[in-house]
Amino acid sequence: MTRDAKARLVLSISVLAVLAAGALCQEAAAQSSPLAAMRQPAAGGLFGWLLSKQALFYRELSGLIRAAKSDGTALWGLMGISFAYGIFHAAGPGHGKAVISSYLVANEETWRRGVVLSFASAFLQALTAVVLVAVAAIVIGATAKAMGDTVRVIEAVSYALIVLVGARLLWVKGRAFLRTLRTLKSEPAPAVKQAHDHNARCTHHEHAYDHRAPHSHNDAHAHGHGADHNHAHDQDDGESVLPWGHAHGPEPEELAGPGGWRRGLSAIVAVGLRPCSGAIIVLVFALAQGLFWTGVASTFVMGIGTAITVAAIATLAVGARAVAKRFAATRASYGTLMLRGVEVGAAMLVMLFGVLLLTGTIASERMGMF
Amino acid sequence: MFRRIAFLIVGLLCLVAATPRAHAHPHVWVTMTSELLYAPDGTITGVRHAWTFDDMFSAFATQGLEQKTKGQFTREELAPLAKVNVESPQEYAYFTYVKMNGKLRKDALSDPVDYYLEYDPKETVLTLHFTLPFKTPAKAKSLDVEVYDPEFFIDFGFAEKDQVRLVNAPAQCSVSVVKPHDDFFSAAVRLDKSMAWEANAGLGANFANRISVNCP
Repeated sequence: MTRDAKARLVLSISVLAVLAAGALCQEAAAQSSPLAAMRQPAAGGLFGWLLSKQALFYRELSGLIRAAKSDGTALWGLMGISFAYGIFHAAGPGHGKAVISSYLVANEETWRRGVVLSFASAFLQALTAVVLVAVAAIVIGATAKAMGDTVRVIEAVSYALIVLVGARLLWVKGRAFLRTLRTLKSEPAPAVKQAHDHNARCTHHEHAYDHRAPHSHNDAHAHGHGADHNHAHDQDDGESVLPWGHAHGPEPEELAGPGGWRRGLSAIVAVGLRPCSGAIIVLVFALAQGLFWTGVASTFVMGIGTAITVAAIATLAVGARAVAKRFAATRASYGTLMLRGVEVGAAMLVMLFGVLLLTGTIASERMGMF
Repeated sequence: MFRRIAFLIVGLLCLVAATPRAHAHPHVWVTMTSELLYAPDGTITGVRHAWTFDDMFSAFATQGLEQKTKGQFTREELAPLAKVNVESPQEYAYFTYVKMNGKLRKDALSDPVDYYLEYDPKETVLTLHFTLPFKTPAKAKSLDVEVYDPEFFIDFGFAEKDQVRLVNAPAQCSVSVVKPHDDFFSAAVRLDKSMAWEANAGLGANFANRISVNCP
């Protein structure tokens, strides 16, 4: 097979992969179709267990908040249940598992960054709920319906932001993909799997590199050359942090430095802006009991639980990407193209989620029903 | 190999994304009693529901409403909320699904009438009363009325007592009730396997409360 044909094959495969994934998404999202309903996992399995636990914990919240009114020790029970509820609840909609995971995969983020993103967005989510209830219920004295309407507006903004984040990612990653494709085409034919043509490869490397976001040094090529190779970029190729991959231990400045926080901020805001309806109901209930601050504490503890689940899923996604990268490394530029393809796919997914959420195709939690 | 892994990642992300409805869980609990209303000629004319919300949601729903006496709400004070309550579930067919002689009748019921809210100050819970009239009163040998939220945001369950009553039904009619809450999650599996409702049965259908009337 000629290089050209190979590149075309790779391109069509990645496009197919994205399309297939999209189709899968939509099919699964269209839960209302009879077929999907039939194929739905039995609620008695893992899902059923998750559901029953969540339901159980949520129901216990009301009793514990009431109890906390007269009995200070009930507060500990309340915090424990809030935490547990958060952990289980994050499996539900509206906590950005999918968006954060896709974002991490598309953006070549480290797992630690994933954890930071998960916690930051969960914290913001709790904060939005508290601020909303404080302002709407305490200051304005708004009705439940008004609060529900407000949530819907916030929701729309949040989903639109997700679309924007996805679009931006797609733009950056799409160009990187095309650039890699072009580089691959112009590369002299047979030298793919040999480890000797450092010069040629490094040139490509730089080509593939120079248009990417600053600090995302976790390039596939790095591992293709072996660790002793001197990279064009000046960052250290840290040791593998994850047992299954080549993810880097993040430098502190990588997390918080210029372009570091800012880069993740858009994702944090997009995901964390939308308050969880459960938290709002709990807060208003606590307020009605004259225990607003207890409700606030419970909301934040819930957030910690939520963050743990989201972070775990995000870490899985990052780990999977690291595995893919290891395979990509054995294929040199060909593998890089695939990796870029995966990134483009993940970027498309972020956008797709945003669009599906915005159009209501994927139902999020309902707010203000009744 | 790589291709497979690439597929896997995108597929995985997709699955994570596509689970919202499947993972939704209730934020509202409703304890209900229902009455089936019959005309003298033996046709069924309506379904009258009384839905009691859980205390947490009741507190949420009554937030910001004006009240003359603290801790109490009159029917008049609750009237605007009642209107919202019966109007919002319209797109969910009022969570009430009618099947006649084995066939799902999507448009059997019209919009709610005679609705009002009651507040129980002792239990601090709201009860919504409303009637869903049949567009055309009909006779059916077997009639099923199921109550559930397809998205399972609301968890419906029958009350312990007086769950279902037939009002003016022909003498030969008998009623039976299937409660998923008898055996919550294993019942769900059972219902899932024998899912009879073809249309728009989301996860919530697993938790349907079924009223079956037989008029031989």
